[in-house]
Amino acid sequence: MAINEKLKVQVDKMPAPDGRGLLSGIDEKAVDAALAAIAALGREGVVGLVEMLVEPQKGGDVKARYALHALATEAGAKPEAERKAFATALASTLGGDRPKSVQGFVVRQLQVAGGEEVATSLGKLLLDDDLCEYAAQALLAIGKGAAAQFRTALGSTKGGTKLTVVQALGVLRDASSAAAVGKVAADKDRDTRLVALWSLANIGDPASVDLLINASNVKPTHERTKATQACLLLAERLLAAGRKKEPTRIYRHLRDTRTDASEHYVRDIAGQALAKI
Amino acid sequence: MSEPKLKTTRRRFLQGTAAAATFSIVPRHVLGGPGQTPPSETFGAALIGCGGRGNGTFGQLSRGLNVKQLARCDVKFVGRADNKKVYTDFRRVLDRQDIDLIAIATPPHWHALISIAAAEAGKDVLCEKPMTRFIAEGRAVVEAFNRYNRVFQIGTFGRFGRPHMETHKIMASGLLTDCQAVHIKRGGLKVKQWSGSVTERVERVPKNLDWDMYCGPAPLKPYVRRRTGGTHRGYWDYEGGGLSDMGQHHFDPVQWTFAKDNTSPVEIEAHAPPAHPECCGMWGWVELKYADGLTFVMDSGEWGQRYHRQQPREVSLSDLSKADQEKIKALPDPDPLVSFGEAVKNRKQTGGHPEAAHRASTLLHLANVAIRVGRKIEYDPVKEQIVGDEEANRLINPPMRAPWHL
Repeated sequence: MAINEKLKVQVDKMPAPDGRGLLSGIDEKAVDAALAAIAALGREGVVGLVEMLVEPQKGGDVKARYALHALATEAGAKPEAERKAFATALASTLGGDRPKSVQGFVVRQLQVAGGEEVATSLGKLLLDDDLCEYAAQALLAIGKGAAAQFRTALGSTKGGTKLTVVQALGVLRDASSAAAVGKVAADKDRDTRLVALWSLANIGDPASVDLLINASNVKPTHERTKATQACLLLAERLLAAGRKKEPTRIYRHLRDTRTDASEHYVRDIAGQALAKI
Repeated sequence: MSEPKLKTTRRRFLQGTAAAATFSIVPRHVLGGPGQTPPSETFGAALIGCGGRGNGTFGQLSRGLNVKQLARCDVKFVGRADNKKVYTDFRRVLDRQDIDLIAIATPPHWHALISIAAAEAGKDVLCEKPMTRFIAEGRAVVEAFNRYNRVFQIGTFGRFGRPHMETHKIMASGLLTDCQAVHIKRGGLKVKQWSGSVTERVERVPKNLDWDMYCGPAPLKPYVRRRTGGTHRGYWDYEGGGLSDMGQHHFDPVQWTFAKDNTSPVEIEAHAPPAHPECCGMWGWVELKYADGLTFVMDSGEWGQRYHRQQPREVSLSDLSKADQEKIKALPDPDPLVSFGEAVKNRKQTGGHPEAAHRASTLLHLANVAIRVGRKIEYDPVKEQIVGDEEANRLINPPMRAPWHL
């Protein structure tokens, strides 16, 4: 029997939806046995499953999706070499003319089972408008090797992908990106500006104090609230790093400028923090 | 579009009275008195998330307070939002300085972010259960409300009856170091009712819905009707099935009874088939064991075998030495739990405060992680990380879709 035929036989053993569309009648033993048989097919089994996936509006691939996700989840409990082989096989299906929605599903399985070995494959998707967000989330979940991918992408990103990449560098607290992220803090788009400010704060960049303070001096709106939050976060990060001069400046600024009753709670925080420094 | 004029709010009133303390003539409605409510006692409030739980949650926020609803916000208000009373974007609601209190009744994937944003904007929050979609969100809410010194109450109140006081005293005392108690919740976790449908087809987004904003921090998936309107509970992107929907009701009071508001289980094991990637589905039971031996069990009764490892067992005075029993008997009852209304008025911590709500919510998330990975997990309740299982840990703090982040 050819691999494809063997695969189809096993995939057919995955649970079928009931009348409400629920997978309510799962026979755990039968499913486990079928998954083991698919796993035994190795790389060809993984690639074959991806070949069975179709775009969501077409439907009909419930069993293949279920099987692929179950294998991805199991991969995490397997020896590292087996997990790596599974993830590498999965990553090899990315690109080409495969529908973006299918690639998106594959990337989400890499978020479950992938490691550093697939970072480069995911990094290539950071400039793809359709797949950037999924790729970013997978890279962030994986952690190892992710920062380099985002750093490389930052120079070429635009619009929504820029937002995603800048936020990711903040999540990773990538200090070497601080200067580049700082340039984004003047972006025309409000969300992008605010994400850049938060990223600088989360990185704990001491050179960004003036930038953040200035950004917080806008009229009382969501932007002022979030820029203020970024100032407080930066102060906390710097204090945790053993610095006092910059946090003192930040807190003094907030204490002296948040004088309206509606912002007294910020003034109080700043005052209390200054008393502790 | 212009913003509404600022009205007198509680905070503004307090500031204003301090500045104008030399005035001697003050209208009666400002001072209060029989039949009058002074502005210092009136709270501007908003409801964010106006679906099935909206009005109920707002009612809970209003209990014991004089509240005026100034704004309603929902992502399904596209085309009818005037940004004066009706909104689609919660950020515009939070900009209003005449609003002090926020009731949150959105699907759970928004609970943490809106709660945190509200605290940053100086508001107090009553948030529908479950508190969060995943564990790291809960810690972020705790930290935000500590930082901004705002009031938070989770929308479940079973603990306020302070059930099983003697058990609470025994557990809170720390005298029982080897706890044999087993608390089993059989049924009531709506597994099939809130499972997701795997056969739903993609549809066109309704004109009145901001789908991008609905998805928010969750992945932006093609629109499927069942992902909204209550049936969202069946999708991992937004909630965690009936276990998340009902679990906080069932286990929040139990957590209080056993004095576990500041910790979490260390071993979690589930009896469940492989999970679907998108839809919450079937599971049989989950066993959650604390470091002191206390065991909680969720037994769905809707799939597989019933839980049979242990029988239910209560904690009793006889578990202690005679001397320790006397110590427990001599303990006074703890102070009553503080309601949201009292906490807002007197700047106290609520009975359903962020840490307690986070720990109760963590029970549900750990159970769902064990269901999803299909293997026993070990949890460090201090670091709030799963030990030795990197892939399981990825479900503790999944990345959010930009620009949303913790």
